[in-house]
Amino acid sequence: MLGKLIKHDLKSLGRLFILLHVCFVAICLAGRVFFMNQLDFNAPDMSLLTPLIIISSLAILLVVAINFCTGLMITFRFYRNLFGREGYLSWTLPVSGIQHLWAKIISGSIFLIVDTLVIAAGTLILVTGRNVVEAYNSVSAEFTQVLGMPLPMFALYMLLFSIAGCFSTLIMIYFCICVGQLFPGHRVLCALAVYFIVSFVIQIIVFLIMTVCGFFDFAAQPAGTVSVDMFRLMAPSAVLMAVLTVIQYITVHYIMKRKINLI
Amino acid sequence: MPWNLDDNRPIYLQLMEKIQHDIISGVYRPGDKLPSVRDLALDAAVNPNTMQKALAELERSGLVYSQRTSGRFITDDQSLLNRTRDALAGEHIRSFMEQMNALGFDKETTLEMIQKL
Amino acid sequence: MEPILECHELTKKYGNYFALSNLTLSLERGQIVGLLGPNGSGKTTLIKLINGLLTPTGGQIMINGLAPCPDTKKIVSYLPDRNFLNEHMRVSQILSYYEDFYDNFSTERASKMLETLEIDRRLRLQDLSKGTLEKVQLVLVMSRAADLYVLDEPIGGVDPAARDYILQTILTNYNENATVLISTHLISDIENILDRVIFLKNGQPALNASVDEIRTKYGKSVDALFREVFKC
Repeated sequence: MLGKLIKHDLKSLGRLFILLHVCFVAICLAGRVFFMNQLDFNAPDMSLLTPLIIISSLAILLVVAINFCTGLMITFRFYRNLFGREGYLSWTLPVSGIQHLWAKIISGSIFLIVDTLVIAAGTLILVTGRNVVEAYNSVSAEFTQVLGMPLPMFALYMLLFSIAGCFSTLIMIYFCICVGQLFPGHRVLCALAVYFIVSFVIQIIVFLIMTVCGFFDFAAQPAGTVSVDMFRLMAPSAVLMAVLTVIQYITVHYIMKRKINLI
Repeated sequence: MPWNLDDNRPIYLQLMEKIQHDIISGVYRPGDKLPSVRDLALDAAVNPNTMQKALAELERSGLVYSQRTSGRFITDDQSLLNRTRDALAGEHIRSFMEQMNALGFDKETTLEMIQKL
Repeated sequence: MEPILECHELTKKYGNYFALSNLTLSLERGQIVGLLGPNGSGKTTLIKLINGLLTPTGGQIMINGLAPCPDTKKIVSYLPDRNFLNEHMRVSQILSYYEDFYDNFSTERASKMLETLEIDRRLRLQDLSKGTLEKVQLVLVMSRAADLYVLDEPIGGVDPAARDYILQTILTNYNENATVLISTHLISDIENILDRVIFLKNGQPALNASVDEIRTKYGKSVDALFREVFKC
């Protein structure tokens, strides 16, 4: 049954998801051919600055947009399939709430991870032109020193963190929707409120952790590297997110098992 | 085509009457096999259990008999059929006479009028 | 054999409002039961509890001796009072969806009915008229060989001809040992196909009797009795 649920989840979002990501890759390819490959890194610094700022802003915007769209698709699927009018069919299938939950976790993870990988691939497409690589090679030694490790290694770490982050994003989405379902009315609004409250609390905790770890203590900062600083920050955040995700999962599990009340 | 049933009398009684009527009037011939409960119920657009009850009552009156495996049949006991027919006719006449009486015609006048028809 | 449905002091509260209070009820197998009551009397609440779409506030509800769970969902076939299908799906896709999840779903039976209705299976559900969509939903529900069919307002929004079709479909497709629970307020239309009726009034059963019992005892139809019991 779990397999069938996942199959139908993938089917229902698959087409839109693929279309979106093919477009993304196409835009990245176009960006590389028509823009990155045209850049002359031997030109004076100032003439390079503007186009580079423009393309990196555009790229970031695009990445955020496609990531947001994927998240939105998963959110809508979860809400509609389980708590909208389609929920009347979903909840009368011979399937337990926990199986529904895991189907959604697995299918959602697949979408989010593929999304992350495609974004990584798109970024690689943009920055692996011969001119860019050559330009990077001329500064790679300094870069490695500042980062504390070679750039590709650093990027790989970032990717792994993002993939791990997919799970907490996913559980967070499901958590908000499920908690919203506990309210007697305006459940979508309540889910949004839960989202903002939880995000706000997380921000505060992260800020506290950063302070405790001396992240803002610039005076005391040793001549560390970016990566050391990053990891020093990320380790406690990762622990925090892991704890939070587990708590959220337990809550969602409980709601899906015992507190189903469709309007 | 749902059967014409009225609202305030038990449904099984009306089903009995309808089938009885169909037997007397020759829709079903003596010895004929009756359609299954389900088909009759569908035809009448009524609940199968109600149809079942109506047929059970008819069985008790002897108009219909069932053979364990092959279904229900109309009786070929001609004298029973005749008796039933006469009883039904008697009922119709009685209710007709009552209506005429209510209109102010006595028995003789009514009979005269019938003969003039 | 145990009853197909048993409720014992079943209560459902929304905030301070009791949609059902201490409802005790049991349904035998092999009958068609009308669940009747005015709006807000708790019909849909009871039906949603049967299907596990709501969690009871108190008391028990048992289907075939079990609280609602995947095993009871296997034997209950449910027609909600609203459009419950993903409208982007095609008719053929929703058929394979049912086939995928319900062991007792007969694609053959459903296909036959759709053919009789001349519904094109390639159409998307959103392109069907309201009446046709309701028929498709009923076809899906009645194509399962279930022990308990729960139909919430199956004839609510359709014209009289479609009503006849729906009643015929119900009569043709349920098997003798199955129970059909139909909620409606259009009593006169379905009165003849019911074994018994349950009147719900403010979350309580006001009457639970067979149709012919009512007619013998009160000398009037269920419809007329209903109008009397629920007179405003």
